[in-house]
Amino acid sequence: MATHDPVLQVEDLATYYYLGDRELKAVDGVSFSIDAKRTLGLAGESGCGKTTTAYSLMRILAENGKITRGSINLGGIELTTLSEEEMRKLRWKKASIVFQYAMNAFNPVLRIGRQIVEVIREKGDYSKEEAVNIVSELFDEVGLKPERQTDYPHEFSGGMLQRAIIAQALACDPQLIIADEPVTALDVIVQNKILDLLRKLQEKYNLAVLFITHDLSVVAENCHDVGIMYAGNLVEVGNVEAVFKRSLHPYSYKLIGAFPSVVGPKKRLEFIPGTPPNLMNLPKGCRFHPRCPFATAKCATDVPEFREIHDGHFAKCHYAGELDLGGGA
Amino acid sequence: MSTGKSTSAWRYIGQRVVQTIIIWFIIITLNFIIFRVMPGDPRQALIGEGLSPELRISVIERFGLDKPMIEQYWLYLVNLFRGDLGYSFSHFGEPVIETIFAFRFMNTFVLMGAALVLSIIIGMAVGVFAAAKRDTIVDTGSTVTFLIAYALPVFWIGILILYYMGFLWDLLPIAGTITRGYNHVNIIDYIFDYTHHMIGPLIVLTLSFIGGFYLIMRDTVLDVFTQDYILAARAKGLKERTILYGHAMRNAMLPMVSVIAVNMPYLISGAMMTEYVFSWSGLGLLTYNAVLSVDYPVLQGVFLFLATIAVLSNFAADILYLYLDPRIRY
Ligand SMILES: Nc1ncnc2c1ncn2[C@@H]1O[C@H](COP(=O)(O)OP(=O)(O)OP(=O)(O)O)[C@@H](O)[C@H]1O
Ligand code: SF4
Ligand SMILES: [Mg+2]
Repeated sequence: MATHDPVLQVEDLATYYYLGDRELKAVDGVSFSIDAKRTLGLAGESGCGKTTTAYSLMRILAENGKITRGSINLGGIELTTLSEEEMRKLRWKKASIVFQYAMNAFNPVLRIGRQIVEVIREKGDYSKEEAVNIVSELFDEVGLKPERQTDYPHEFSGGMLQRAIIAQALACDPQLIIADEPVTALDVIVQNKILDLLRKLQEKYNLAVLFITHDLSVVAENCHDVGIMYAGNLVEVGNVEAVFKRSLHPYSYKLIGAFPSVVGPKKRLEFIPGTPPNLMNLPKGCRFHPRCPFATAKCATDVPEFREIHDGHFAKCHYAGELDLGGGA
Repeated sequence: MSTGKSTSAWRYIGQRVVQTIIIWFIIITLNFIIFRVMPGDPRQALIGEGLSPELRISVIERFGLDKPMIEQYWLYLVNLFRGDLGYSFSHFGEPVIETIFAFRFMNTFVLMGAALVLSIIIGMAVGVFAAAKRDTIVDTGSTVTFLIAYALPVFWIGILILYYMGFLWDLLPIAGTITRGYNHVNIIDYIFDYTHHMIGPLIVLTLSFIGGFYLIMRDTVLDVFTQDYILAARAKGLKERTILYGHAMRNAMLPMVSVIAVNMPYLISGAMMTEYVFSWSGLGLLTYNAVLSVDYPVLQGVFLFLATIAVLSNFAADILYLYLDPRIRY
């Protein structure tokens, strides 16, 4: 996508959960990269592994989850081989995460300001007063009154909490912000304000943003690039324009078609028959083949390679670029 | 905003004070009724002593037991507010208030207080730690240990401690709160002697309390661990210690506070057996002896006292909640 070094480079990442002796392949062979000032939208149906991908990057997986393969390079540091203590020190300093439900991401019995001061002082050499001042500046930046930092979480509205969460995410000057469905719980007007804020801050602080959502219209308006996930695989990545207008993978094509608002006047409303596979019992070959209208015998046996079809536009389909998906032309 | 908040907090406290007083009134009334309708006329207790009829009548009059119920109730209330709980049937007719408060209350208070503080601190700290190390040897080990300690009869551990540490190895005194007939040189010497006597009952009580506190703490912390804000704290790269003791424990304190408050009277009465085994002259031993000698005024006084503790500790818990949980609705 770019010639200089990206902030985040993920290569063939695989994360499995273990339930007894069974293996759930939540993320399997995911590769993408994000440059400074760029936003990659990660989209896909519920359960396809978006959150697992995000938690793998921060290495905050549940106890039964494990990164089994691949590499995560963040600002030149390979995260998968760091010790737990080294990783702990990097968290929030290099990358921070905005959780979906802001209401639950702050401890209800502690003042909001104190929770941000806590991480500022943990990550840098600041006195309490200095840290409080930083929080005031951050609050100002995200459109909150600095004196509200002594409030408790329940005294904030949903939109205010999300702003506070963003302030917290910026507290230690990260290079990457992971936003896991940051606006899903908010109403549309507040959503747009928060998204505008995120864009503004990204520009100002040179942030790379991984933006997770299942709403493709949000991706269309807020992201530079987009990755589509299906059953633990990243099936297509490219810039928004290319992926939306000239989809290479049948699944992305159908998924995008399911959101008429993104496609504009054509209003093709697609329906994908069948359901995503059970991640503990995946189909052989291409994971999408039981639902794919273009599936061939090869699709049922051979796993397609994730390849670059056009410049910076990747897809995981044997016939990517050859199929007539009706787009583009 | 903050002034509005603090006035409503004060209003809440005011309401709780009124409620507490009403509940306390109901309890002291019940306390009066229960002792009047209990099988066995309290006067009977005095007759057995082989008193002459004249003496008996004068005793009954002295205790006001010949008056109508309603008048007795009124007298009971008036005397209660004067700090007069009547006179002990045994203890040479000593005022009950003295029987309870002269030294027994202090003895129980010191022993109970120390046992509670010790068991709460240890129970909570180990509970949080075990939850953090769930399903490891640390967790299973402490759970089994504390459960066994919890299940062992107080009487039996007490006797074991007395036999080995007191009798065989001569490490601890056998009975009482201080060495009898020994003239203490100064206050330090006295405190030392007192503490030495307290070790035995303190171990027994702490062992019997700790299991409950430990289990509640462990369970609550495990529950708190599943909350999003703990994941957020991990994502922030806070130290394990900060997450455990700065976040998880703080939240898990809430249920602890109510459990402790609700159980306070049970804990105090549970100390009876320990006081008996170690001849620790406190309220437990007093109650035990009062039951044996059917000393109604003393029993009534002790129950009144326990009820008051119960009401007060619930009140204290509510106030503590205000501080611990900012979400509380007034
Ligand atoms: N701790 C866990 N143990 C076992 N399976 C898990 C665990 N966490 C997630 N999973 C499973 O892993 C798969 C991917 O979950 P993930 O949360 O990453 O999906 P997602 O794409 O974020 O979905 P959503 O849009 O619903 O948030 C799901 O099938 C989920 O059930
Ligand atoms: S590889 Fe085959 S089954 Fe899979 S998406 Fe491409 S055409 Fe469909
Ligand atoms: Mg998710």
